[in-house]
Amino acid sequence: MTDGPLIVQSDKTLLLEVDHDQAEACRRAIAPFAELERAPEHVHTYRLTPLGLWNARAAGHDAEQVVSALLEYSRYPVPHALLVDVAETMSRFGRLQLVSHPVHGLVLHAVDRAVLEEVLRSRRTAGLVGERLDDTDVVVHPSERGHLKQVLLKLGWPAEDLAGYVDGEAHPIDLDTSSWSLRPYQQQAVDGFWHGGSGVVVLPCGAGKTLVGAGAMARSGTTTLILVTNTVSARQWRDELVKRTTLTEDEIGEYSGARKEIRPVTIATYQVLTTKRKGVYTHLELLDARDWGLVVYDEVHLLPAPIFRMTADLQARRRLGLTATLVREDGREDEVFSLIGPKRFDAPWKDIEAQGYIAPADCVEVRLTLPDRDRMLYATAEPEEKYRLAATAAGKNRVVEQLVAKHEGDPTLIIGQYLDQLEELGEHLDAPVLTGATTVTERQRLYDAFRAGEITKLVVSKVANFSIDLPEASVAIQVSGSFGSRQEEAQRLGRLLRPKGDGRTAHFYTVVARDTVDQEFAAHRQRFLAEQGYAYTIVDAEDLVTDPNG
Amino acid sequence: MATFSEHLRARSDPELVDLLARRPDLANPSPSTIASLAARAGSRVSLERALTGVDASVLQVLESVVALGGDHAGGAVPAADVARAVGATGDGTARTGVEDAVTEATALALLWGDDAGLHPSPGLADVLGPYPAGLGPVVDDVPDDLAPLLAEAPPAARSVLDALTWGPPVGRRPAADAVEARRAVEWLLTRGLLARADTAHVVLPRRVGLALRDGRTHAHPETHCPHPTGTVHPETTVEAESAGAAQEIVRLVAALVHLWERTPPNVLRSGGLGVRELRRAAGALETDEGLAALVVEVAGAAGFVVDDGEDPPAFSPTVDVDAWWDTDLAARWAVLAGAWLATPRTPWVVGGRDERGELRAALDPELARPWAPRLRRAVLEILAAREPGTALTADDVLTVLRWRAPRSVPPPAAVEAILREAGHLGVLGAGALSRAGRALLEPDAGDAAAAMAAALPEPVDDVLLQGDLTGIVPGRPTPALAALLDRATRVESRGAALTVRFTAQSVEEALDSGQSADELLAELAAHARGPLPQPLEYLVRDTARRHGRLRVGSAGGYVRVEDPTLLAGLVEDPALAELGLVRLAPTVLAAQVGPAALLAALRARGLAPAAERPDGQVVLARPLVRRVPGRGRRRRGAIAGAGGPAEAPVTTTAATQRLRSLVPALRRAEALQQSGAAPGAPGAAGTPDPVAALATLREAVADGREVWLEIVGPDGAPQRRRVRPVRVDGGRVRAVDSARDAELTVAVHRIAAVTPIDPEDAPS
Repeated sequence: MTDGPLIVQSDKTLLLEVDHDQAEACRRAIAPFAELERAPEHVHTYRLTPLGLWNARAAGHDAEQVVSALLEYSRYPVPHALLVDVAETMSRFGRLQLVSHPVHGLVLHAVDRAVLEEVLRSRRTAGLVGERLDDTDVVVHPSERGHLKQVLLKLGWPAEDLAGYVDGEAHPIDLDTSSWSLRPYQQQAVDGFWHGGSGVVVLPCGAGKTLVGAGAMARSGTTTLILVTNTVSARQWRDELVKRTTLTEDEIGEYSGARKEIRPVTIATYQVLTTKRKGVYTHLELLDARDWGLVVYDEVHLLPAPIFRMTADLQARRRLGLTATLVREDGREDEVFSLIGPKRFDAPWKDIEAQGYIAPADCVEVRLTLPDRDRMLYATAEPEEKYRLAATAAGKNRVVEQLVAKHEGDPTLIIGQYLDQLEELGEHLDAPVLTGATTVTERQRLYDAFRAGEITKLVVSKVANFSIDLPEASVAIQVSGSFGSRQEEAQRLGRLLRPKGDGRTAHFYTVVARDTVDQEFAAHRQRFLAEQGYAYTIVDAEDLVTDPNG
Repeated sequence: MATFSEHLRARSDPELVDLLARRPDLANPSPSTIASLAARAGSRVSLERALTGVDASVLQVLESVVALGGDHAGGAVPAADVARAVGATGDGTARTGVEDAVTEATALALLWGDDAGLHPSPGLADVLGPYPAGLGPVVDDVPDDLAPLLAEAPPAARSVLDALTWGPPVGRRPAADAVEARRAVEWLLTRGLLARADTAHVVLPRRVGLALRDGRTHAHPETHCPHPTGTVHPETTVEAESAGAAQEIVRLVAALVHLWERTPPNVLRSGGLGVRELRRAAGALETDEGLAALVVEVAGAAGFVVDDGEDPPAFSPTVDVDAWWDTDLAARWAVLAGAWLATPRTPWVVGGRDERGELRAALDPELARPWAPRLRRAVLEILAAREPGTALTADDVLTVLRWRAPRSVPPPAAVEAILREAGHLGVLGAGALSRAGRALLEPDAGDAAAAMAAALPEPVDDVLLQGDLTGIVPGRPTPALAALLDRATRVESRGAALTVRFTAQSVEEALDSGQSADELLAELAAHARGPLPQPLEYLVRDTARRHGRLRVGSAGGYVRVEDPTLLAGLVEDPALAELGLVRLAPTVLAAQVGPAALLAALRARGLAPAAERPDGQVVLARPLVRRVPGRGRRRRGAIAGAGGPAEAPVTTTAATQRLRSLVPALRRAEALQQSGAAPGAPGAAGTPDPVAALATLREAVADGREVWLEIVGPDGAPQRRRVRPVRVDGGRVRAVDSARDAELTVAVHRIAAVTPIDPEDAPS
C-alpha cells in the first residue's frame, strides 16, 4: 500500500485528492485517459470510459502506461478486474485500421482477422464495405469512411483512421504576432491537433479557442471552412481572424442566412447548413464548393445531428473541433469521437484560471422567499405554469436592483429567459434589453457600447448564451434559465470568464425563488458549478439587504 | 488358478481392515463370510461406488487391464503390459505412477494379482461398460496378421479406421447413396477389420483397435494429477480484493436483513422466495438478481432469515442477526463465509428452470444438494494447494477435479459458480485464495476472522466534505462514521473509498431519525477535515427549516365551528373528557372517538351539532326514504355502499312500520314449525338453524330422501312442501315436489326450516 493521491474504485471512478503532494503529477499522468467528471475543492473525480481510453490510444498511449499510472499513484491495491478491463478495452482500438492502399484506395485493414470477420458479419456494416481483398483487407467506399467509423465504434471496435487527408487548396495564412502571441497551452493545442490530424480541442470558455482555430489554419496553410453556431459568432470569428492573422476582409466570406459568400476562408452557420427546403438540404454544395484543406467546428457540443451526417462525408479533410466540454446533453459523444476525431488537447478550467488567463469567479445563489400571496399562487398553479411563476417572481426585481447597486459601475449582464420579465427588468434598471428580436445591427451597437463602457448594464435573453464576446462583463445576474441545463451554465459562466484587465474576480449571481422548482433547478446549477471547482455560496435575499458586504 | 475370494481370503488382516475402511459399504451390514464379502465387492453397486472415488490414473489402469484381459489367457495381464499399454514406458515417473495406481486399485480390491499377472475383480468389466478405454469388443474372426492388411487399406478405408481408432469404436454404416464410403466399409468388413454390430452400425474389433493404437490402450498416461499454473497476483491485490468483497457481502446481508425486517417477503407455497421478491431485494441492494440470490441464500445459511411459520408465512430476520451485528466486521464476515462453505444450498441455480419447467426460487428447500459443501471445499483446496496468490479458472479447477474423480465430474456450471461465489464472499481475492480464505479451510476455521481483520484496511474516521455536496471517505469508514453517513447521505460509489452525496431527502431522513440540524452539523464537523462547506451547511439548515412543517396525526372525528367562542371550554369540560378532544386550531377540535359518539355526546351536552360529509355538506336529519328493488329486476350489490347515511341506525317511521309488520309473519312461521301442525311430520322437529338446515338438505340429497321444506313466500306467508332435494348450490336449493310432480328452486334465505322424513313415513 503506497500513500498515493489516487483511489481507484471498482466502478471505474478515480478519486484524486488534490491537496496531496503528488496530486499534480498524478493528474498529469491520468489526464490523457481519464475524463474529469467533477472537480470540487478536495477530491476530483475522474472516470474511465471506453471513449476516454480510446482517446488515449489515439494519442499514442498504451494500456501498459495506463495501468502503470494507476498502480503508481493508487493508495490502495487497484481492483484486478479493472486493470484487465482497461487492457481489454484499449486493445480494441486499432485492431482495425483505415488505410490508403496504393491500388485499391481506401481499405479497412485488420491487424486481427477475427475482428474483421466479426464486424463484417454484423448487419450494420453491410453496404459500407466493398470487395474483400484478402483475409485482412476489405475495400471501403471513400464516401462511407465516416459511416463505417461510426458503425465500428458502435460495435466496440473503433478503427484507427490512418488513411490520411487530402492536402486541400493551398492558401497562405500566417499569424500576425506583432502585438500578441499564442499562449503556451494554445500552442500545445495546435500542435496536438496537427500531430493527430483530426480531432477535438477542449478549452474553457474565454480561454481563446478562436486563436487555436487561427493557429491551426496558419499551420495548415489551406482554404478553410469554419462552421459556427450563429451569425454573431461568425462576425466575431471574422473580426478576430482579420486582427490576428494575415488574412484580409476580402479573403473571408460569410455564408449565412443573410449572405452567401464563398471565399478562401468561409465562415458558415450551422443553421444555414441545416436549412431544408422540400426535405432537401439546400446548402450542402458549400461543403464541396472548394477543396477545403481544413474544416473547423466551433462549439462541437452543440453540433446539430444533420451536421454529423454531412461530416461523415468529409472524412478525407482535416477536421478541428473546438469546445468547452465534451459532454453533450444528447449523449452523442461517440459521434464526435468517430466523425470529428479523438480529443487532442484538454486543459481544465481551474488550471488555466490559475495561470491567470481567465478570471476567477465567485458564484452566489440568492434565495428569495416569496411573499405569501405569491406562494399561494404558486401552490395552486398548474404544473406547467410553476416554473414560469417561480422564475418570474416579482421580488426578483428588487434583488437584482440590490445586486446591481452593489456592483455599481462594473459591467453587468442580467440574463433571463422570459421576455416580459426582461422588459420589466430593463425598465426597472433603466438598462437596454437585448433579445432574439433585436436586429443584428442594434445588437452590434449595444455590444460595442457595452464594450466601450458607455453602458454598464445590459439585460439579455438566451441569445447571449452563444458566442458573444463581452470582454469586460464582470458581473452576471441570472434570473431565469432553461431548466438548469449544464451547457447553458457553462456558456453563461463563460461570458464572465474572459480575462479581466485588472484581475478582478468575476461574480455570477443566480436569483431563485425559495421552495419552488426554481430552487430545484438551481440545485443542478450548484452541482455543476461546484463540480467545476467554483466557490459556490448560498445566501438569503434578506441577508443581502442587511449585509452589504456578503 | 486362484479366485477373487481366495485372493481376498489370502489378504492379511490389516489389509482387509484397510479395504473395509476404504470401501465402507462392504462392512455395512457386516458380511458373514469372506465369500460373501467377495460377492459384495463384486456387486455392481459397490463397484460403482468404489469407482466414483478413484482418480484418473487408477481408472486408466483398470480400463487397461479390462481391455487387455480379453486377449490374455485367463484374463491375467502382466503388469508390464499395463504400463506399456497406458504409455508409461521407461522407468520414469509415469512408470512409478502406474505402479502406484496398481497398488491402489489392488488395495481397493478392484484388481487382484497372482503369478500370471493382474486380474480385474469380478464384475468390473461390466461396470466399465462394453468399450473399456474406447476399445471395441473381442471378435473371433479377426485375421492374425493385421499389419500388412492395415498397410494396404485404401485411403477411404483408412480414414474410417482413423475415425474409430480412439473411440468410440462404433460407427454408423454409410447411407446407400454414399457410394465411396460404403465401398470402404465393405472393404474393411470383408477383411475382418470391422465387424457388424447391428444392421445399421459397424464396430472396430478390439484387436484391430489395439493394433491401430500401436498396442496402447491410452494415448497419454494420466499417472499424475495435472497442475494448471494459473495466474499469480501480488498478495496485496489478493488481500485487498478479498477484504473489499468481505465488506461488501457483510453490508449486503445486513441491508437484506434491514429490508426484510420492515417488509418481510411471503413464502411461496413451494417454500421458496418469489421471483418478484428477489427482484425487489436486488433493487434495494442495487445488485443483479444472481448476486441477490447469493445474498439471500447466505443470509439463510447463516440462519439470519427463516420462514416464520406465521399465517401467511414470511421470511423474517431472526434474533441471531442482532448478536451477529454486535461483533466486529471480520467476525461478521467469518460467520457468513463459514455458513457459505458448509451450506448444502446451491444459489447458482436460482432463476433457472427445473425439469418441470418451473422457476427455481431462492430459499426453496429443493435447492439443497449434499455434495455442494464437499465440492466447495474441494475447489478451494485445489487453490489452497497452489502457491499463494494463484488464481485458477473454472476450467483449470475442472481439469484437476476430472483427474481426481473421472467417474464423478461435477457440472462445470457448479464449479464456475463456486469460484464466483467465493469471490463475492471474499474467500477469494482476484481469483486467488486469500489468507482469510485459507484459514477458513483449516479444521477449526478459528483464525479466519483474525486473518480477515488483518486484511481489512485501517478504518478512516474523517470525511472530505465538498461544495458540490459530496463527501469522500478515503478508505474504510469507522463504524461511527459509517452510521452517520448511512443516516444522512446517499452512497454514490463504493470500493476502496466511499463517495456519498447529501441531498435534501437524505438530510430529511437524518432529521427524521431524531437529530436536530445543529446536532447533525456538529457531528459532521467532528468528522470533517476542514470546515464544513457553506452550501452543505445551508442545505442542512434549509432542510431543517422545512422539516416537519406538515404535521400528521390520527383522529376519530373532528368538531369545527365558525365562531371560536363556541369551542371555548369544550376541551376542558370534564363531561367530554372521554372524547379525547384536542384543539388543533381556534376553530377546530380533533377527537379520538368517531362522529356518531361525538354527535351523541355533544347533543347530550345540550349543543346542537350537525354531521357533515367529507365535502363539508351537512347530513340533514330528515327521514331517510328507503326503497327495495322491484320484482323481476335483480340488482347485484344493491346494498348501500359502506359508510354514508345508510349505516345510520334505523329511525325513520316508514322503516319502523315495515319492521313491525314483518315480525308477526316471522312469528307465524315459527309457531307453525313449533306445533308441527303440518301433516306427515309428526313430532319431527324442523331445523330452523340455517347451517343445520343446509346440512340436512345436503344429507337428503346424498341419500335421495325427502324432507319437509318450510318456505317463506314472497308475501311473507309460510308454505310447507314435501320435496326431494336434488341439489344445494350457489345459495339455492333445487328440489322435486313429488306430490305435485314439479321441480322448484328455492333461495336458501327463504327456507325457514327443514325437517327430514323417514323413508318409512313415505306416503302411500
